[in-house]
Formats: sequence, C-alpha cells, structure tokens
Amino acid sequence: MGNASFLWNAMTKSITGGLIALTISDRYASIVSVHGLSMYPTFNSSTNTFLGSLSDDYVLVEKFCLANYKFTDGDVIVFRSPNNHKEKHIKRIIAMPGDWIKVPHSYDMLKIPEGHCWVEGDNSASSLDSRSFGPVPLGLVQGRVTHIVWPPQRVGQVRRSIPEGRFSL
Amino acid sequence: MGNASFLWNAMTKSITDDYVLVEKFCLANYKFTDGDVIVFRSPNNHKEKHIKRIIAMPGDWIKVPHSYDMLKIPEGHCWVEGDNSASSLDSRSFGPVPLGLVQGRVTHIVWPPQRVGQVRRSIPEGRFSL
Repeated sequence: MGNASFLWNAMTKSITGGLIALTISDRYASIVSVHGLSMYPTFNSSTNTFLGSLSDDYVLVEKFCLANYKFTDGDVIVFRSPNNHKEKHIKRIIAMPGDWIKVPHSYDMLKIPEGHCWVEGDNSASSLDSRSFGPVPLGLVQGRVTHIVWPPQRVGQVRRSIPEGRFSL
Repeated sequence: MGNASFLWNAMTKSITDDYVLVEKFCLANYKFTDGDVIVFRSPNNHKEKHIKRIIAMPGDWIKVPHSYDMLKIPEGHCWVEGDNSASSLDSRSFGPVPLGLVQGRVTHIVWPPQRVGQVRRSIPEGRFSL
C-alpha cells in the first residue's frame, strides 16, 4: 500500500515536472546545441576537431522576444529554414524590414521587404544564409540566442553586433 | 473560412464570423497535402495569420492564374489560395509560402451551430497541379 502510493506520487510529480519543462521550453526559453562553423568565432570556436560533436557549443534561446517581435540588427536568432521547414538555423540579423543592404560581391543594393529580415553567419566564408536563400520571413523566427551555456570556459553573453563593413541604411 | 468575402455571405444571415477548430498535431511531421485548409503567418507581416487552402506542395508545377506561365513550387514552400478567388489575398499576390510559417490545419467549423461540420479537403475545379 505504501509502495503504490509512493509510486503514484512519483509518477504524478514527474508528469507535472515534465509538462512544466515542456511548456518552458516551448514558450519561454530552451537550450540548443550549435552545429557547424557558420557562426565562428561566436560559436564553436574550439579548434579541437578530434572530439567532434562533443565540443559543440550549447546556447540559451529565449522566446520572450516573439511576443512583440522585438528584434534588432545584430541579434543572433534561431529560425526555420525557408527551404526546409524541418531544419532550424542560427544566424545574425544584419538588416530589418525597410532597410537597404549592399549585397556582397555585387554592386546591387537590395531593399528588405516588409515582414522579412536579412541574416548572415559571422563566418562569411562558410555560411549558408540570406546571400543564398534571400530575405527570411520574420514569421519563421523561433527565438533569440542570449547566452552560451556550454562549455564552461566559454559561458557568457552573446552580444549584439554588426560586422564591420556591412552597410545597413 | 476567414476570407472577407465569406463574411459578406455570412452577413446576409447573421453578423457573426465562423469559428473553426485548428489542429496542430499535423505540425509534428508536417503532414499536409493538397486541399488542406491551413493557418499560417503572413510572409509579409509576421503579426498576421491567414487561413487559406493548399493548392500545391513542394515540387509541384502549378498554372499561374491569368497567365500562361507554369511555376514550380520551390522546396519547403506551398501554394495557397482562398476558395473565393475574386476576393482573396493569397499566393497569387505574395508567392509561395514557406511551410515553416504554417501554424495549424483547420478541421471543423464549430460555430454557428447551423454550419457545424467537418472542413473537407478538396481541390477547386480547373486548377492544374502536376
């Protein structure tokens, strides 16, 4: 009798805890791992390639910004890929709707359409971003990266910054 | 189903909008097909949501209305149109919609009571979708 009620309590508490964790992860903040080098040196700047995925950075993604869509240039965001809705990417916002942006390696200026943003990775040489798939609709944004939480020697805030040499009028 | 035109018809009988049930289980595996009615964030205004019907899925070729062009739907996008073509702002204006913007699928009308029922999948007549 004591065992059954103990198990019942444990089960209801763990289900409650699971629901709370799921709600928080879905609505407020979650922790995701960063793959790839498109955001070097902001993320994954460890040069130890032997360990491979063990050295991926883990970052805190906050979703409070989605309530009012308060993004600005320089924020690092998580968004669903326009070409593949099952993938999520992490890149930095370079320009917001209505801004004019100089397209790299070209003499064109491009105006960012209403409801879209221009994203680029910090490591331009190795980044699949708006230079390939164009402006990203803001409705695809899933959250904003605020902190690195792993590995411990790289814990810290992820700062908003515009890379040098990028026009954004 | 959310179009302004539909409201005009409804207003001859009552002043209320239809209320519909939107299910989000389809988002887990993104199991949509042609003919589903979906809710999606507008590509041009992320604060707005629209309700339209999927006419074509990625890889399909679609005949663009009032034109001789055929358009291939890019990977990860879908073509949506309202059932009331005359009064619908849809993919004919803002182009294919990224599937990542979809927020759910409409399955039933729940209000007003005389219109309660399932929302069926159907392709409008005369639309090519290869």
